[in-house]
Amino acid sequence: MTAVNEAKTTVTVTIDGKSIEARPGELLIKVAQDNGIYIPRFCWHERMKPVGMCRMCLVEVDGIRGFPPACTMPVSEAMVCHTDTDSVKAAQDGVLELLLINHPLDCPVCDRGGECPLQDTTLAFGPVESRFVEEKRHFEKPIAISDLVLLDRERCIQCARCTRFADEIAGDPLISFVDRGDHTQVLNFPDDPFSSYFSGNVVQICPVGALTAKPYRFKARPWDLATVETSCTTCAVHCRGAVQSSSNQIVRLLGVDSEPVNQGWLCDKGRFGYEHVHSAARVLTPRVGGREASWPQALDAAVAELKSAKNLHGGGAIAMIGGASGTNESAYAWARLTKGVIGTDNVDAQLGDGIAAEVVLGSDRAQISDLDNAAAIVLCAGDLKEELPVLFLRVKRAALELGVPLVDLSAAPHGLSKYVTHALGAAPGEQGLVAEQLASAIGGATPANETIAAATRSIGSREGNIVVILGRTSLAERDDTVVSAAAALGALPRVRFLSALRRSNVHGALEAGLAPGFLPGRVSLDSGRVHFTSNWGSVPAERGLGTEGILRACAEGKIHVLVLVGADPLADFPDRSLAKQALDTVGVVIAIDAFETPSNRRAKVFMPCTLWAEQGGTVTNLEGRVQRVSRKVSASGLALDDWRIASELAQRMGSDFDLETVDEITEEFSRVAPAWAGASTATIRNARDGVVLPFADHLGEVVFRRGGSSLDIEYSLSWEPIRADGDDVAVEASDVDETAEIDRTIATEDALTLFVWDRVVAPRSIPQRDAYALRVNVGRKLYDGGRIVAESPSLVGLKKAPTMLVSSADAARLGVLSGESVKATSSRGSITVELKAARGIAPGTASLGFSADGTGASELIDASVSVTDIRVETLR
Amino acid sequence: MGLAKGFGVTLRQMGKKKRVTVPYPEEKRAKPQRLHGRHVLNRYEDGMEKCIGCELCAGVCPAKCIYVRGGDNPPDNPVSPGERFGFTYEINYLRCIHCDLCVEACPTQAITETKLFEFSFANRQDAIYTKNELLVGDDGRAKRMPWEYWRGDEDDHTSAWMRATSSSGRSDYEGRVNWSGELGFGVRAPEDGQTVDSNIALAPTHATESHNGHNAKADH
Repeated sequence: MTAVNEAKTTVTVTIDGKSIEARPGELLIKVAQDNGIYIPRFCWHERMKPVGMCRMCLVEVDGIRGFPPACTMPVSEAMVCHTDTDSVKAAQDGVLELLLINHPLDCPVCDRGGECPLQDTTLAFGPVESRFVEEKRHFEKPIAISDLVLLDRERCIQCARCTRFADEIAGDPLISFVDRGDHTQVLNFPDDPFSSYFSGNVVQICPVGALTAKPYRFKARPWDLATVETSCTTCAVHCRGAVQSSSNQIVRLLGVDSEPVNQGWLCDKGRFGYEHVHSAARVLTPRVGGREASWPQALDAAVAELKSAKNLHGGGAIAMIGGASGTNESAYAWARLTKGVIGTDNVDAQLGDGIAAEVVLGSDRAQISDLDNAAAIVLCAGDLKEELPVLFLRVKRAALELGVPLVDLSAAPHGLSKYVTHALGAAPGEQGLVAEQLASAIGGATPANETIAAATRSIGSREGNIVVILGRTSLAERDDTVVSAAAALGALPRVRFLSALRRSNVHGALEAGLAPGFLPGRVSLDSGRVHFTSNWGSVPAERGLGTEGILRACAEGKIHVLVLVGADPLADFPDRSLAKQALDTVGVVIAIDAFETPSNRRAKVFMPCTLWAEQGGTVTNLEGRVQRVSRKVSASGLALDDWRIASELAQRMGSDFDLETVDEITEEFSRVAPAWAGASTATIRNARDGVVLPFADHLGEVVFRRGGSSLDIEYSLSWEPIRADGDDVAVEASDVDETAEIDRTIATEDALTLFVWDRVVAPRSIPQRDAYALRVNVGRKLYDGGRIVAESPSLVGLKKAPTMLVSSADAARLGVLSGESVKATSSRGSITVELKAARGIAPGTASLGFSADGTGASELIDASVSVTDIRVETLR
Repeated sequence: MGLAKGFGVTLRQMGKKKRVTVPYPEEKRAKPQRLHGRHVLNRYEDGMEKCIGCELCAGVCPAKCIYVRGGDNPPDNPVSPGERFGFTYEINYLRCIHCDLCVEACPTQAITETKLFEFSFANRQDAIYTKNELLVGDDGRAKRMPWEYWRGDEDDHTSAWMRATSSSGRSDYEGRVNWSGELGFGVRAPEDGQTVDSNIALAPTHATESHNGHNAKADH
């Protein structure tokens, strides 16, 4: 008998007379919900641990005295539970009456009114009337607990969702309950605002209107919002979200729970950054020579410049930087325009702040969900909390909740430092060396030191892959340190890479061939030459330059026309003086952008493009997942989609793409691009969580939407995880007509193979640091001076002036007090910056935030040297 | 046959004085008490606006003729009591069907209807009344716009009189007057078969006397 029970992996429970199979240990409330029985609740959230605080989910269980809460009750064999008996109803009435005693019922002025769980639950489960006639408790009406979140303590029902989120999920325990009894309230600590990067999530999961977001406050009522599912493209994680608009204005972005991507969470920059779409600073009409012009005039002017440069100097005299901010379709159209029509390979979607495209496209890739069961996660990237916040949440969860060891190659302290298991203590620029030591230790050699030995032991003791999060560790170093780390680690059998490039759709742009030496679909220029010549007419003869090379060539006068597609090299390229020199020297700048930036201010032709939520299509995130983004509001002014501009230019250049819609581009893309082989618009439309590239390898993982291809989502309870409805079982490709066959003919016909990086790196030497200098590590901050932050009124105030962090030993040696302004000088230039002594910084190194408004660290960095050393002097 | 029958009806009526139609506009009939006409946005006695911008009226409107946007009340110079006020309030009278569901929905009795229906416009834009035109004046009475034809006391009893249901829809209130006092007019006298609820504070107001005569009339 016992043996039978042990062998059984499920238990049978009876809820309201329905017999249900469940996994032992699963919570009763979840089992009931999964089987269509809704037990009312406020405090329980699927992505957080249960607390049983609100008492709303009381049920009856045979054999248990009283009413146990279903959210803390694990199911066990032969459990019989009742959720709708008269006594349960009486208990629910009592709990709701209690919760409403102090609730002010100011629903008409409450932002939650209309989508309020307390309203809905009261209507469905509550008492008709309250017996409470006494005065309710009073607090000061909304108090700002951060720059983005307001707290109305009168409305709070003390479910602890927000405090638990801040503590468990975000790791910023900045809000907590204070006082006791009926004075219990949520508060931040005095002088310490709730300045979490994830504060917007507590607004979404609050079951009442106690927490409201300042940007959405009184903007609209939930019933007049139109909602459509999309992906946030603020960074490269591409969290699923539901964008909502009212009267053609975006008013809110809610997180949608997508298990493989964001698990329902969003960062504040993504959640509130929609404001930049409606910024008054948008350029809404084309400009030629600084004057407003019509579209035909602007297109003709641009084509005239492109043609004359091509005829006089050849296609190589034209270069394009950018293309990472639009959709995959836009990137494809621009790749076809530049490589197929103009005939230049001087094309780069990255701004010298990423990693070589060979490494990103040609290494074994991991998915975000692989982090959960990895043997170890190796951090070889910038600060994930600042650059890819929701990926940070996933890594933090893996380390903290799932016990995955974190091996850290970072040179400066970062958001994940406190969760790191094995800090290998690499100095700036030496990640490659440390990675080689680690790789050889894992490979069986004698470990170089005790930390590497410990890391090797813990990796060796675990199953699964080693996921290396690979990004630019520091903007003050060339990417070769990361590339050599990737080469060393990539040689190991179990290693998979998760790219940590941060810019919007940069992975989609790279997959679409917006990188020197590449063509769409992860093929190199040489191997795809025949295939793409037959499809496009021509391809560039030889490999071109990346952004650094383009800027250098511009400065030397070798490039005559520079096309900037949503790129701002003066702000984003690490070496500002090179960017400045290039833009001052280059003959003609053609800009496609939504905003005027220092880089495109003197553009000969300026063409306004649409932004996120104004354009539909697909985007590709850092794991290669292709997901759909939706158009929610109409284009501002005369702005056109990037792909439309490319296609118009191509037509005027004498080469008609014959592509009229986004779907047609997607289809052509999947017809010619090997990584997309077998993809169809229908499959992409119907895939609930998108499709991971290369498509043919991942078709089996696709979960199809049950509701068809529409992205209009009806959410009733925004505080619960919002999910797109999908069939839980992965559907065979043959179940969907349009994908009846995985068409891999591209791969066979032209002998096209997906690019694989050969892991050959040039030997590099790191210059010695002299004893007086500090070797600086420069990383991005979430609220930088970039366009999204600068043009979003709610976010712009959150930007902080960068500070330089040094060890207290160095501060003492320099005779500088923490908080004092100092002059930092490199071989390139000097800046004045506030210096702070901080823990976790190795002596001889410094950490500095990169400010994307063209001031600060970029004045110090010389793109041609491998590391940046600075001297610090006081201003006294 | 049918023709003769029809003319028969006509001939029988000829000469009888019992006429129910009037030669409008030379002659105009008295309007019923509960006629639904042009809206007003009411104020409290202290001049604060009653509208809190909750958009319930816009939400319930079957003709989708109301556009409301809320705003954050400036703490130093509040427009209405509380956090939120109606920042934008517009009614498109080309769409409005005067069903009064907005009045029913309003949690603060901010929007009510007068009995005015004689107003016309030369273009579509003019048909959209903004908050400026809808808001009552300092005396609590509707602003009379030049293009509107107002007769006498059409803006009397613009308040809760127009509600078809009792507050919070409770049947207990059937047969009782239960709306709160409204600026300028106090609590209405009960209609046929109604009693005055003792819970209601009778609002003593300056205008009660001047409109007293009309209050007593309950012929609708």
